[in-house]
Amino acid sequence: MTNDLQNIRTLHRFIAFIGISLYTTISYGNDNPKAIDPTPTECANHLHYEGEYFDFCDTCGCGSSGGSMGYGTGLNNNFIGLRYIGQEYRSRDGIFADSPWITENFNTVQAWANIPVTKRAVLNVIVPYQFHNRILPDNTEQNINGIGDISILGYYNLLKARPDSVVTIKPEHYLQLGGGIKMPTGKYDKDNNEGSVNPSFQLGNGSWDYILAMNYGFTYRNWGVSAMANYTIKTKNPKNYQFGNQLNLGINAFKTYYVSDFAITPIIGVAEEIYGTNQELGFNIADTKGDIFLGKLSVEASYNRYALGLTGMLPISQNLNSDKVELRNRLSVYLNINL
Amino acid sequence: MKNSLLALSAVFALFMTSCSSDDNASDDDSLTGSGEISIKYDNGFNGNDLVLGTANAANANGEAITVNRFNYIVSNFRLVNAAGEEFTYAKDDSYFIISQETEDDQIALANIPAGEYTTLKFGVGIDQEKYLQGAEGQGDFLTLAEDNNMMWSWQAGYKFLNFEGTFTSETITEATEFKIHMGSHGSSLDNYKEVTLELPNNVVVGDGVDSNIHLKIDASKILVGATNSIELTEKQVIMVDAEKSPQIAVNTSEMFVVDHIHNGDGH
Repeated sequence: MTNDLQNIRTLHRFIAFIGISLYTTISYGNDNPKAIDPTPTECANHLHYEGEYFDFCDTCGCGSSGGSMGYGTGLNNNFIGLRYIGQEYRSRDGIFADSPWITENFNTVQAWANIPVTKRAVLNVIVPYQFHNRILPDNTEQNINGIGDISILGYYNLLKARPDSVVTIKPEHYLQLGGGIKMPTGKYDKDNNEGSVNPSFQLGNGSWDYILAMNYGFTYRNWGVSAMANYTIKTKNPKNYQFGNQLNLGINAFKTYYVSDFAITPIIGVAEEIYGTNQELGFNIADTKGDIFLGKLSVEASYNRYALGLTGMLPISQNLNSDKVELRNRLSVYLNINL
Repeated sequence: MKNSLLALSAVFALFMTSCSSDDNASDDDSLTGSGEISIKYDNGFNGNDLVLGTANAANANGEAITVNRFNYIVSNFRLVNAAGEEFTYAKDDSYFIISQETEDDQIALANIPAGEYTTLKFGVGIDQEKYLQGAEGQGDFLTLAEDNNMMWSWQAGYKFLNFEGTFTSETITEATEFKIHMGSHGSSLDNYKEVTLELPNNVVVGDGVDSNIHLKIDASKILVGATNSIELTEKQVIMVDAEKSPQIAVNTSEMFVVDHIHNGDGH
């Protein structure tokens, strides 16, 4: 109980901090006198073809976390490992109803870790390597590869469940609040956009972005529920391009089965991603916002400290860039060593 | 625990609030100097891309049209700013041919004074004032028009629209040629029309800020406009036609819609 009270005090301090930083951001944004009327939602597509731009919300290329794939496994554990994320999108190349679709494949290999620093603090680091490809309307293939945007987050365990793999009879909650940065280590190449379909076909945003994150989980015997929410505040990159802020939400349910030395955890979940409007030179770019609701199936098999995870995500409903962009599927595989 | 959850929802309420904030502001307090505004005339046919030589779905009159030529003259560009002031682009530099044949579908207006503009105005065709300057007054544009099949003869005048192809209908089942050449016939019949397009959001221009207005053109409007419906089955060649030619002129002026604005790069 005393512990809980202490937690609440810490929590309030945390909220104050987050609140102040958010307000600073918001009021900074509002400081600017040159406000233009918001763009009507249905007004325009953002597609140019024949060697021009198509602006795209930041659903795929630049994010180091693969949107609602999240910064962690969805299970409450600490680990170090490797994760592959493959995403297939298609986007319309042109403003007409019969304009062709371009398929884009975004591939990311991440070195990722959730490292406990103190009893309550956890450090989350993701170092992505990206290799993307797409086939342009003239049938040429474009490939880009290189290091992506590295993200570093600190989590504070406000409520901490017991150590892993101890099956208790009492229900257990855990709650982590955190924040961090995404660094512009991935290359943002404006020239990539020339003759291209979308500016998210990049290795990175090119900007310093700030992440607020929360994980909550509840386990009872070998059942569990986990929820995550994170919000990325994106800033203007040196090329005066600014991707819209992004909110990722997810909820998962899982059950762990023990088969001799193996633990197998099937996970089922849903996720929502909401993207704000991109800006160039401070001006809103029409039809760059969007949202997508996804279903998720995944399974983690662990043996001793080794965990192998497999996740598939399919869109349930989506409205990205006024339907000019569609996610087809996401797939992820990870191999972790639990700490 | 209850308190924690309450506090948490407060945090996420904040998250959501900031998420929906639509800050639409420039970093520069003022735009200075001048910049370029380019205008893309992206030709389509009833929502689809216009591809020469490819049949389109039948229109409201049951006529399926294959377009083989789609050229038109746009002119006299003006931009209205937020304060209602109108900027007129230099008249001598203000005549352009959009041609689906040669894929000339983008024009560039240089040295537009810095500002935010709410409305684009232009003409379809050649105004009488320009025509009355005589052949010499036309400069290079006369040759350009001839090269693009946009002249009958100097005396007969410019074709403002050259729209040709084949069609089939309920009664005409064999692909049959049609020709629609619309213009002001000398100075006796004035078919020059003005188009005013309110922009969905302001186009911004200034030093280092070149912007683009992307227009979506619907060539199907030439025959089936808001008020005038013209059947090719009735008449396949419309040139000097005191009744139909002015209707075509009105319909043609209705085919322009702003698809989107791209501020900040000249594309």
